[in-house]
Amino acid sequence: MKMPRSLQGRLLRLVLGLVVGVWLVTAALTWIDARHELDELLDSHLAQAAALLVVQQAVEIDDDRRGADAPTLHRYAPKVAFQVFHEGRLAQRSSNAPAEPMLEFTGHAADGFKTISIGETAWRVFAAHGRERDVQVFVGEQMESRDSILWAVLRSSLGPMLLALPLLALAAWWAVHQGVAPLRLVGRALAQRSPQALQPIAVEGAPSEMTPMLDALNGLFERIAQLLESERRFTADAAHELRTPIAAIRAQAQVALGAAADAERLHALQATLQGCDRATRLVEQLLTLSRLEAGAEHVLVAIDLTALARQVVADAAPLALSKQQTIEVNAVNPCTVRGDATLLSVMIRNLVDNAIRYGPSGATVKLAVSNAQGVVKLILEDSGPGMSSDDMERLGRRFFRVVGSGQEGSGLGWSITRRIAAVHRAVVRVARSESLGGLSVEVSFPA
Amino acid sequence: MRILLAEDDPLLGDGLRAGLRQLGFLVDWVRDGDAAERELCAQSYAAAVLDLGLPLKDGMEVLASIRQAGVTLPVLVLTARDAVPDRIRGLDVGADDYVVKPVDLNELAARLRALVRRAHGQPQECLSVQDVALDPAARSVTQAGVPVTLSAREFDLLHALMLNAGRVLSREQLEQHLYSWGQEVESNAIEVHVHHLRRKLGTALIQTVRGVGYTLARDLPKPR
Repeated sequence: MKMPRSLQGRLLRLVLGLVVGVWLVTAALTWIDARHELDELLDSHLAQAAALLVVQQAVEIDDDRRGADAPTLHRYAPKVAFQVFHEGRLAQRSSNAPAEPMLEFTGHAADGFKTISIGETAWRVFAAHGRERDVQVFVGEQMESRDSILWAVLRSSLGPMLLALPLLALAAWWAVHQGVAPLRLVGRALAQRSPQALQPIAVEGAPSEMTPMLDALNGLFERIAQLLESERRFTADAAHELRTPIAAIRAQAQVALGAAADAERLHALQATLQGCDRATRLVEQLLTLSRLEAGAEHVLVAIDLTALARQVVADAAPLALSKQQTIEVNAVNPCTVRGDATLLSVMIRNLVDNAIRYGPSGATVKLAVSNAQGVVKLILEDSGPGMSSDDMERLGRRFFRVVGSGQEGSGLGWSITRRIAAVHRAVVRVARSESLGGLSVEVSFPA
Repeated sequence: MRILLAEDDPLLGDGLRAGLRQLGFLVDWVRDGDAAERELCAQSYAAAVLDLGLPLKDGMEVLASIRQAGVTLPVLVLTARDAVPDRIRGLDVGADDYVVKPVDLNELAARLRALVRRAHGQPQECLSVQDVALDPAARSVTQAGVPVTLSAREFDLLHALMLNAGRVLSREQLEQHLYSWGQEVESNAIEVHVHHLRRKLGTALIQTVRGVGYTLARDLPKPR
C-alpha cells in the first residue's frame, strides 16, 4: 500500500529543493566567473613575469651563471617555474623547472599561453622571446594552485550557506507547519465528530484556498443530514404503520385462543392469516420503496409498454370481474420506452389495483397506451368515486390514505408509483376523468 | 359492561370486538370519527376504546368535542402513535388512558375495568354491597362468601346496579348497559332479569322505585 503523502512534507521538499537548486546554480555561476577572473589575473601575472625576464636577459647575460638555478624565495615558489634560453641553450631556470624547454621552440611565433603537463602535473605556461637577442623565456605555473584559490573563493562564499541550510530547513518546516495549521484543525474537527454530528464545519481564519473544500464538505454534510432525516422518518413511519396489522394479528390470535366455539376460532384464525398477509404486503411495499429511495442505479432498456400493460391487466382481470367491473386496454403496438420492466410492472399494477379496489361494483376501468411523436403516454381512467382536489394534492405522500374508502391499504402504493415514474423521468398527472367521471392518471414518458 | 370501540381497521376492529366479548364486554363497533362522536353523545357506555387515526374525524378531535359536550365516560385511547408528545397531548385532551398498539386483550380488558371502577369512585377491583361481592375480572358473585351462579345478563345487570349503588337506574339505562347493537330487547327483559336476581340473592337487595326504575341500597339496616 502506498503511504499517503503529507502536504507538509511535500511543501518542505519543494521549498528546500528550490533553495538548494538556486544555491547550486549560484555556486556554478560563481565558479565560472571566479575562474575566468582568476585566469585573467594570473595569466597577466605570468605574462608580466615573462616580460620582466626577457627584459632582464636583454640587459645582463651572465655566461658564467648559465644553466644556474634561481634561488627559491617563497614557499609558493615551487608552484611557479621559469626557464630562460639564450640562443637555444638554457641560460637560467628555477629549481623546480625541468632542463628541457617547457614548450617546443617554434621560433618567433611561440609566444602565448599553453596548458601542458609535465609528469603528472598540469602547468600553465607562458612563452615569450626577446627581440634583439635570441632569448626565449618560459614562465609556468601549476594549475593546481589556481584550483585551490578557486576552492577557497567558493568555500568562503558558499560555506556559510551550507551551514545555514539545516537552519533554513528548520525555519521552512516551522513556516509550512504554521501554514497548514487550518488543515490540521479541520482534520481534528472531523476526526472528533460523531457520525450524527452533521452541522457545517466552521474554521476560524480559514484561508481562501480552503473555502471550496469546506463548502463542498458542508454541502455533503447537508445532503447526508437530509438523507438521514428522510431515512429516520421512513423508519418511524414504517414502524408506526406496521403496528396496526401486528395489533390485529395479536388480537385475532388471542381471540382464537379464547374461543369457546369452533366457528369463532376458525374465523379468528382466518383473520390472523389475513393479518399476516397484509403485514407481508406492507413489508414488501416498504422494501420496494426503500430500494427506490436508496437511489440505486436502474438499468433502463427498451421495453414494450403495451405488452407490459396487457400482462398486468390480464393478471388483475379476475379481481375486476369478481366485482362485476369492466376492464379494458386500448393500446397501439408497440410503444417502446426505456425502462426497468419489473419496476414498470409494479407501477402499472399499483394503478390498476387502486382503480379496481376503490371502484364500486360495476365500474369501468380503461387503460390506454399511446404514442404521439415519440412521447409515450399511459392513461388509466375509471368511473369510480374519484378524489377531491385536496386529496389529489396529498396523494403520494407516504402513508396518506383517502378516508372513508372502506379499503385497507398502506398508502404506500402512490409513493411507489411516483418514485418509479421519477426513475423513468416520467411525469404523473392526476385529474378527474372527462369520459368516465372517476379518476384519471396519466403517466407520460420522455421522448 | 357495554363499551364503544372506534377503530377503522377491519381486521383489528373485528379482533378487538371478538376478544372483548369473550372477556364479558358488550361491544359496539364504529369505524369512523363522526360515528364515534355521534354514538358517544347519544348513548350511555361504560367506557370507550378510541383509535386516533380515524377517517372523517381524527380521534383527538372526537375526544376534544365529546369532552366539550360534557360526556364524562372513561376513554381509553388505543393508537399506533407512540411518541411521548402524542401521549401527553392525548391525556391532556381528555383521554383517561393511553395504550400503544399492539395490546394484550386481557390487559386491555383490565384497563377498561379499572377505568370504569375509578369513574364510579370504587378503589377496589371487587365491588361489594351489603353481603354481596362481585368480581368483574372473574365475573363471579358471592353472597356471604357463598358463590352464586348468574347468567351473563344477570351478571351485567347486577354489575350496573352495584356500580351505581345508591342511585336509581331507569329501565332504559339498564337496557343500554345490557344490550349492544343488533340484540333484540324484549319489552319486559329487565323485569325478568330482576326477578331472577331477587330469587337468587333475596328480595331485599334490589328495590323498585315505581315509575322510575331500580336501585340498590349501599347499606340496609339489618332487620332485628
